[in-house]
Amino acid sequence: MDALLLRSLQGYVRDTFGLPVWQAVCRRAGLTVETFEPMLRYEPGTADRVAQVAADVLGRSVEAVWEDMGTHLVTNPRHQGVRRLLRFGGIGFTDFLHTLEELPGRTRLAVTEIDLPDLQLDELGPDRFEIRCQSRVSGLVRVLVGILTAMADDYGTLCVIETDDQTRILVRVLDSFHNTARRFDLASPGG
Amino acid sequence: MSAGCISVNISIGGETLARFMPMHLLLDGEGRIVAAGPTLQRVLGGKSALGARFEDVFEVRSPGGATTVAEVLDRAAHRFRLTLRNRARVGLRGVGQRLSESGLILLNLSFGIDLIAAVGEFGLTDADFAATDLAMELLFMAEANASVTRELRGLNLRLEGARVAAEEEALTDPLTGLRNRRAADLWLERLCATETPFGLLNLDLDYFKQVNDSLGHPAGDFVLETVGRVLREQSRAEDCAARIGGDEFVVILPGRTDPDVLASIAARIIARLREPIPFEGQACLISASVGIVRSVDFPHPDAAEMLAAADRALYAAKHAGRGQARLLGADGV
Repeated sequence: MDALLLRSLQGYVRDTFGLPVWQAVCRRAGLTVETFEPMLRYEPGTADRVAQVAADVLGRSVEAVWEDMGTHLVTNPRHQGVRRLLRFGGIGFTDFLHTLEELPGRTRLAVTEIDLPDLQLDELGPDRFEIRCQSRVSGLVRVLVGILTAMADDYGTLCVIETDDQTRILVRVLDSFHNTARRFDLASPGG
Repeated sequence: MSAGCISVNISIGGETLARFMPMHLLLDGEGRIVAAGPTLQRVLGGKSALGARFEDVFEVRSPGGATTVAEVLDRAAHRFRLTLRNRARVGLRGVGQRLSESGLILLNLSFGIDLIAAVGEFGLTDADFAATDLAMELLFMAEANASVTRELRGLNLRLEGARVAAEEEALTDPLTGLRNRRAADLWLERLCATETPFGLLNLDLDYFKQVNDSLGHPAGDFVLETVGRVLREQSRAEDCAARIGGDEFVVILPGRTDPDVLASIAARIIARLREPIPFEGQACLISASVGIVRSVDFPHPDAAEMLAAADRALYAAKHAGRGQARLLGADGV
């Protein structure tokens, strides 16, 4: 999990703030490399540590860094992969929320190596959901908040997404047809 | 029917049928299309397919020999495979049943493994598949797989780049930028193994110790750097110029075995190295002795033998007076 998050953090900081900022983060974190490989393994805890350094360098809270990174993962126009994979989750945003529980299983099916943390969705009432997520990486819930925010936008759904601790996210869907959803073709644009 | 199935006759409305089986097909006793599920209708090009004969729309791939829907039902033990006559790329598979009451034939079709092609070809969306269909999972898998493969390809390229750089570093003498001893050995081994004829110059600096002793190591290092530049300038891209010891160098020249050519290259290098090398207001004066050997003088040249012979040639050159070059054959002459 650390490898995927570190790679995403690297992409987010480089795309948004430029290579010199990322290099500064690497130096301050005492890293021997400047490139993280998503398919390699890194010492557990590295992702949280590097994210904290990035937050210090950028002068923001680490929670904000993780959240923005989650949004960047979905909205970054350079690679559509994450957004596309998530859009396979359903026709609408609530449909998508309901398939979140299946996401770790789907991912494991595709790549056994990738062990996403278990996600649990509870419907608290009409259009009110609670998502619980247990992960070793403390920033993961914030990443998920960023991803959910971007996906709600992608589906054209107006909702309030809140989190109060490191395991729980509350989603209130206010308007499922607030905006036109972004177009999604099942067929991959790459052919 | 297998055990466990309770025999209950139910009637099912067209809308429910469309939702449960969006790719079903109903045919009359003659094999004419009466109705099609919404997704299949899209695949068949709309309502125009209604009334068409089964065999005009589909080509039967299995069971072999069947053409009409009646033949398909009679011969197919478990399932049948079809292709569309107008879109040969997309295959379909299905099951069928005669409905006793109405006399209609019900087929339920699916894309099977051609799903990915079909989605692109017909612009299907997740609403086109039954809620129980694993189509989304299959598409998810295919894309996730493609992403991972792309990522791995990137990783391989990055690792390969790092490997080439590390290799380059391992074969280079950092002071002069020439190849090092290990690189020279590898070159000689490769040329010997492939029986490529080559010439070999073994070069030793004269008076280098004096420069080091009188002007200091920085002057010595500067002289070595200058030698590196001279050797690079005097050799071709396909040659290998290497520093193999403190003030000892070799130049390996593939394809060059003419004694006169080799001697003139050696003479040119010596002449260049005799030019005074200015260093911080002082002139460093050195020269070089060169031993020359040719692979063609040895019946079965190998790297160690060639280097030893070049060393003997160098010794002979030093003996003959400094600033000289000597060619040595296998017989030691």
